[in-house]
Amino acid sequence: MQVYVDRAKCDNHGQCTFSAPTIFRLDEQGVLQYEEHADESLRNDVEEAADVCPLQAIFIKD
Amino acid sequence: MPTDIAVPYLDISDPAFAMHSEAVRNARSQHWYAKTNYGFAILRYEYVSKLLKDPRLSQGSGKWPDHNGVHSGLFYDWWTKCLLVLEGDDHHRIRRLLNPAFSPRHIEPYLPRFEELAIELIDGVLDKGEFEYVNDFAEPYATRVLCILLGIPETEWPTIARLASTIGLALGVTLKQDLGVVEDALQELYGYAENLIADRQANPGDDLVTKLVQANADGDTLSDSELRNALCLLIFGGMDTTRNQLGLGMMSYLHNLDQWELLAKNPELARAAVEEVMRTNPTTTWVTREAVVDFDYEDLHVDAGTTVHFFTQVSGTDPEAYPNPEIDITAERAPHYGFGGGMHHCLGHFVARADMTIALKVLSQRMTNMRINGADEWLPDSGNTGPVKLPIAFDKR
Repeated sequence: MQVYVDRAKCDNHGQCTFSAPTIFRLDEQGVLQYEEHADESLRNDVEEAADVCPLQAIFIKD
Repeated sequence: MPTDIAVPYLDISDPAFAMHSEAVRNARSQHWYAKTNYGFAILRYEYVSKLLKDPRLSQGSGKWPDHNGVHSGLFYDWWTKCLLVLEGDDHHRIRRLLNPAFSPRHIEPYLPRFEELAIELIDGVLDKGEFEYVNDFAEPYATRVLCILLGIPETEWPTIARLASTIGLALGVTLKQDLGVVEDALQELYGYAENLIADRQANPGDDLVTKLVQANADGDTLSDSELRNALCLLIFGGMDTTRNQLGLGMMSYLHNLDQWELLAKNPELARAAVEEVMRTNPTTTWVTREAVVDFDYEDLHVDAGTTVHFFTQVSGTDPEAYPNPEIDITAERAPHYGFGGGMHHCLGHFVARADMTIALKVLSQRMTNMRINGADEWLPDSGNTGPVKLPIAFDKR
């Protein structure tokens, strides 16, 4: 599964890091870093991260 | 560090302090932050956007009871275990369990019911051509939306409104003297919440309480007391804020009737109409944080324990970020911080955005030529503001 974050929308609130902490994290500058490839076993977590993103900036490509 | 920077000072606890004032605008032109009687206020958009999410700042409301001489008791125990003030792993865990129930996917099924409610309330006064907007629309709408979400009979809304408003007294500087009534209301709300939780555990439905009862993240669930604390926070945090923001929204469009007409003709702009109100006229006029450690940011030195206020309306109308800062529901805008930001970003913002979008759409399609029709009354301008009374006359569209 491929993960894509629209950087133009992302505002680095970090809500996604609660749902899928192995895929999304904030670096020391508070900027979102993420894995572009996620194991299928994490689908529910990544979908939840996309659902709860305040800016709705996270997209999943199968 | 340059020593010739003149840092403005704002006395934000002065009852006459006004966010929409020349003094505050001048302070914003002068420097990106001001000193205040509590600590610092961040005034410019660019800095609010960066520092609001900075992990060196924590939520900052945890010590509110202590600062007001309240160190134990029912209110103290609830407040200090609330999601609002939790930090670190405790916050992450509860937030993760609560977040999904408030996502757009779970809110969407309620939207037709919100719309019916808005129509019912405005149609009740449409032929009169005048009403008291807070009492007749904003408060029943905001409270009944909560009832719909929680699966409570809507006829019980006056009880919910009364309890939420009474617990809201705890946000005032008179907390200690109001503590008795606040704790009585909280005790009553606890009972209400506990009954709801027990009912949904026995009889699951499709409401938000059921979703929270069933919330499960990798086997982790919310305990009964965590559920109760969350429901009380939801009622406490969800009613006043929405009522006040709806009041401020009406006030904004009373002063911008051309934008109101534009909205009436283009109902798809209703969401933008909500965002523009929250950017220029937010109920939460400042978001509070507290420094966890000593740190420096450009020319600002912050000692651990210092309060930092992020001024939402002031940064939301910063000409550097918004060259034409007046309300324009057709403009592309950078995101505002009326819902706070970072780890503590408002949990209920999708609900608030959705219910206010529906309210503005429904009202704009039925009312035109609104004007103030008698004496309005207002909460103070600091913290959480809004009209207490807003009598309006209008023409039926």
